[in-house]
Amino acid sequence: MPRGQQSPDRPAGERPALPGFDELTIGANGAEARRASVWLATACRQRNVPQAQVERLTLCLEEVLANVIVHGGSTALSAPISLLLEVGPGQDREHGHEKGSGQASVTVSDAGIAFNPLFVPKKILPATLGEASAGGLGLVMIRRCSDWLDYRHEDGRNHLTFGARWDLR
Amino acid sequence: MSISYDDIGDKLRRIVISGRLDMPGTDSVASTLGELVAAPKKGVVVDLSSVQFLASIGIRALITSAKAVQQRGGKMVLVVTGGSSVLMSLEATGVDQLIPVFRNAADAERAAVA
Repeated sequence: MPRGQQSPDRPAGERPALPGFDELTIGANGAEARRASVWLATACRQRNVPQAQVERLTLCLEEVLANVIVHGGSTALSAPISLLLEVGPGQDREHGHEKGSGQASVTVSDAGIAFNPLFVPKKILPATLGEASAGGLGLVMIRRCSDWLDYRHEDGRNHLTFGARWDLR
Repeated sequence: MSISYDDIGDKLRRIVISGRLDMPGTDSVASTLGELVAAPKKGVVVDLSSVQFLASIGIRALITSAKAVQQRGGKMVLVVTGGSSVLMSLEATGVDQLIPVFRNAADAERAAVA
């Protein structure tokens, strides 16, 4: 069955379970990034993602999309950006399923210049306003607001995944 | 998205921003913010308690403004609701350590002109 379709043999009257994922395709501009932010917040709340994690994920999404729009080049601006939200039980990467926890991840796929943010050295935060530069804060925010980051470049597209975990207990 | 201001005496200007300081929101207020902080007031309070979302582009505008105020010998401070996503953005980027942040307007106004 294709992703996102409901099973046809669901008992009548039973509320359909939400699939564990949601997808959206947007254009590469600020107004579309805002639409994506609203979409993400709505989809997360429908899946009972806690508010604190919703806020972290929407901030990360805004910053990732800003990077694509500003630094992705002409191919990023002319091709659609695909978004995938996946929500499920928390996963401990070393030990598998982690009982009593949840996680949500967002994968942003774009056709812009290949860029792996995991290779960018961490920015040293300035001690004074005079030392502060106005740039480079987006990646700082992505790193601080996500619990994990994954990147791959495949079929000419960047695929960046960021996620947040929470404890259900 | 809106931005407004009122002057409190000769020394203090209070700027109130509301809405989302994401890409479109910041684009719509950044130049006005720059003009408002250029006024020869000693203290500038930027009230963000009605801002629902603060992205790095908005933080960039705040840093630029705070530097401009500092360079003319003044001081810019922020009013932010405790526990809000705006405060989270400022803390995540360390900007709460560079631009003073207050939970209420009265404290902010005192600090801006101190």
